[in-house]
Amino acid sequence: MKLQLHVWGPAFGLPSIDAQCLATVAYCSLALPRQAWELVATSDPSVSPTGELPALQYGSVWVSRFRNIVDYLRQYSQGEWDLDQELDESKKADKFAFSSFIESRGQTLIDLSLYVSSQNYYGNTSPAYGNLLQWPNQWILPPKLHSAAKARTGHLGFSSLDLQALEEQREREHSAAAATGQVPKNLIPRPRDTVSTLLGRTAKQDSFRIDALTSEFFEPLEAMLGQKPFLLASDETDLPSSLDCIALGYLALALIPELTFPWLRDAMRAKAPLLSAYTERLRQRCFGSESVEVAHAFAPQSVPPSPLPWRAPGRISLAAVWEHPAVNAAESDSDLSEKEKEIVSTYADSQKKDMYLSIATVVAGTAALVGYVMHTGLLSLAVQGDDEEEEAEEDIVQNDAAFDNVVATDFLSSANLSQI
Amino acid sequence: MPPKGSEGPEPASAARSFFSIPTPIKVLFDKFPLVTYPANDIPQRIPSERRENQLFVFTDAAGARRGRPSFNPQCLKWQAYLKFVGIDFEITASNNHASPTGALPFLLPSLPAGSSDAIPSHKLQKWAIEQVHCEEEQQLNLRFEVYASLLDHRIRHAWLYALYLDEANFNAVARRLYINPATSNSLVRTALEFQLQQAARDELLKTTRYIDVADLEGDAGNAFEALAALLGEDDHFFGRPNPGLFDASVFAYTHLILDDELGWKQNRLAQMLRKHNNLVQHRERLLRFF
Repeated sequence: MKLQLHVWGPAFGLPSIDAQCLATVAYCSLALPRQAWELVATSDPSVSPTGELPALQYGSVWVSRFRNIVDYLRQYSQGEWDLDQELDESKKADKFAFSSFIESRGQTLIDLSLYVSSQNYYGNTSPAYGNLLQWPNQWILPPKLHSAAKARTGHLGFSSLDLQALEEQREREHSAAAATGQVPKNLIPRPRDTVSTLLGRTAKQDSFRIDALTSEFFEPLEAMLGQKPFLLASDETDLPSSLDCIALGYLALALIPELTFPWLRDAMRAKAPLLSAYTERLRQRCFGSESVEVAHAFAPQSVPPSPLPWRAPGRISLAAVWEHPAVNAAESDSDLSEKEKEIVSTYADSQKKDMYLSIATVVAGTAALVGYVMHTGLLSLAVQGDDEEEEAEEDIVQNDAAFDNVVATDFLSSANLSQI
Repeated sequence: MPPKGSEGPEPASAARSFFSIPTPIKVLFDKFPLVTYPANDIPQRIPSERRENQLFVFTDAAGARRGRPSFNPQCLKWQAYLKFVGIDFEITASNNHASPTGALPFLLPSLPAGSSDAIPSHKLQKWAIEQVHCEEEQQLNLRFEVYASLLDHRIRHAWLYALYLDEANFNAVARRLYINPATSNSLVRTALEFQLQQAARDELLKTTRYIDVADLEGDAGNAFEALAALLGEDDHFFGRPNPGLFDASVFAYTHLILDDELGWKQNRLAQMLRKHNNLVQHRERLLRFF
């Protein structure tokens, strides 16, 4: 049985649209012999019981996240498939630190470039997802990923890269001003002209904050790489390490995509020429010199063979949805850790509960409707009875009033009498 | 304006049109005893004349008096940094609502006298450099920012989990430090608890689909290993003769993780940290500043 690596599908000429998936693909292509593994562009995180991609499947074993997959491959091959075995202590320290650095800063920049920048998202990223996702996920997943990326970068205050948010803000301010009455035009506050709104108009205009952000990311990496072939190499003959795979995952997404608004690529080429060359070199080594097309992933037989061991993902059928791993995982997967099992089973339980809850809601709703109809029927009977009683009461009241009138006229007449 | 009610009808008829005050009310207000009382005194607990820089951090009253380390890593980082570079300051117990930026710490400088411009935490380093002309350490070593990301992400995430989402620790530590001093109303406390835990959960879920404790702890363990390798046999990070910003950032977490007075119920992070003797000694060396 082969190891199967499930990833987000290809886009922008790269084997995956996601940085972590790219890193894992790079690691497998460098560490594993070609016949040992298959690459499946599942593009659906729900196939894995952990709900995440990349995920490595071996029989009923599922492992997700880059570092866990690297650990699993090392155990699986008894230490043979390990790119990091040559590293000494200080290089290991560098590996941890730089991977944390690349993952945190790189993710921010890629979020800003591919998702938050509106032109790029609507012009490039969203169509790319449309090509690789199957119905109905192409309508569900991209907006989710879009808003997750916005949430991750919200604290930076770059929301004005996002034309949509900018337009909303402008409208809100305008309507607020209009709502307060006849405010003279020159007193209506204009939306703040941030650096990034300028950036939104033309890519050429300077942007200090984007500039600072890209410098902070690229400069340490460029200095670390220097003239070496790989980030942690000490001489020409050294092999790439897992850090190079992570770096490739994030840097390739910064450098390779042809975007409407390529500020990240421009910055990378200008600030880190060595790093750009390194990314291009490593990309050819891991993913092949041809750019990866969506067809490679979905119909591997029909196109010229790719250096990556693609295998077409199964189409989603109704039965597959019913047999969804997330629903059945709690019973079937014995290789998950205790904690994972707990999480998965809570998820499965909650899904079952949801189903029972919806059935119960429908039943209760129907019962309530029938009850209401019956109730109104009963009420109409009761109303007739009530009417009769009320009429009787009215009679009494009228009698009382008549009596009062009599007394009052008596009083008046007696008063008149006394006056006379 | 003094009343001119007795001066005859000519000016009154001109001004009466719109703005004039009706005569009876004017007469009444002429007799009104207008006394201006002196302004209230400033509350006793605020020093009448600020001679020291005031750093506002999360701490309790006793800790503030004796200048003990704050129990919040962000605050402790800047508290330690200012101590290391030799700036005198007093600390004041405070909370996020007091801060102009919505986050602690911030500093009210003593000079220029009477200035009320608070310095938020992201400008503290620049201010300190202006004050004592210490170095901007980020520029000296390319690894500064890289290794700082270990603290800002890997260790911080594990810390968020350990303090806020681990129920035993949350009840024993976070509740006592952050929630109980804020209010005695149990309803408000419940709401605060929920907000704190939700904020921590949201922060962790920003980068992953679900919270995997083993992953968080494994990453933190690797981060400690990397920091220990970076420190090596030196007294301070990057071989500096005096502790600086990076030492303060590391100390902010290592001190709190190893501080048994906080009353941790479960402390996996401390177990991992104790494997690296040089980091433990580094913390003990720096603790002498307090």
